[in-house]
Amino acid sequence: MERIPILKLGDVLLVSIQVDMHDRLAMALQDDVTNRVVKDRAKGVLIDISSLEMVDSFIGRMLGGIAKMTRALGAETVVVGMRPAVAITIVELGVALEHIHTALNVDQGLKQLRDLIAAGRDDDGHAQRQS
Amino acid sequence: MRLASQPGALNDLIATNNLLDQLGLHTLEVFQKSQDAVIRRQQAEMLELSTPVVKIWDGILVLPLIGTLDSARTQVVMENLLQAIVETESAVAIIDITGVPTVDTLVAQHLLKTVAATRLMGAQCVISGIRPQIAQTMVHLGVAFGDVVTKSSLADALAFAFRQRGILISRGPDRT
Repeated sequence: MERIPILKLGDVLLVSIQVDMHDRLAMALQDDVTNRVVKDRAKGVLIDISSLEMVDSFIGRMLGGIAKMTRALGAETVVVGMRPAVAITIVELGVALEHIHTALNVDQGLKQLRDLIAAGRDDDGHAQRQS
Repeated sequence: MRLASQPGALNDLIATNNLLDQLGLHTLEVFQKSQDAVIRRQQAEMLELSTPVVKIWDGILVLPLIGTLDSARTQVVMENLLQAIVETESAVAIIDITGVPTVDTLVAQHLLKTVAATRLMGAQCVISGIRPQIAQTMVHLGVAFGDVVTKSSLADALAFAFRQRGILISRGPDRT
């Protein structure tokens, strides 16, 4: 079965979705991302969906789910490069993605992720001292 | 009853009558179709004209809304705004509703949808131009913009956007 590649950039995992998502692939991605966050001790996850042209409520919920799961594992998630049509679809579907971090492109997303990670470290002192 | 005595003439008369009827009907249909086309074209043009997205600064877009917002217009507004955000890579979008006469629950919902879509794209959205009357109506109706940034004037919104982008504006030497 095909899998979506997860690349490691320092303490950030980069997930670039280049193929059409279907439900099985989405579930596999959720599984892979959470496993890799733990294995690589990642502090952030960047999901690039600029090639994703179609999104349904399941995929939308899956994105929100990954963000919540990684947060529970101590990593922030930023979704970048959402297309206008996809954004409109998600809003019209009423998928609640209110608390998800988003950015226009990978460049800005990485910047935002670094800020989030830095802010997270400020919040608890010992992580700050470790770094 | 001369016609009765000439059956052929009567048939001719009926045929002519039918022909004229069909001609009239056809003329009317063509006329109506052309009128419909004009109305549709003008509606489309009005929709396009009424939703300009202005790039006011590097990374800052302004969308001045004029007139009432309905579902169809919101759709166009949203599409134009999101497309402009992608094209200009803007981080802040200001929706100015100075020209929107009333904000009821439906209009507020449409605005919130636009704001939500903008956020999903990774840009921040500010709503400006809320008049005292509108603020009062909104509170009375129980319409809440939640955690959306709202400002009373476009100037305030622009100042906010500059702060967000880290742009500083200083007054130059007095030139009078």
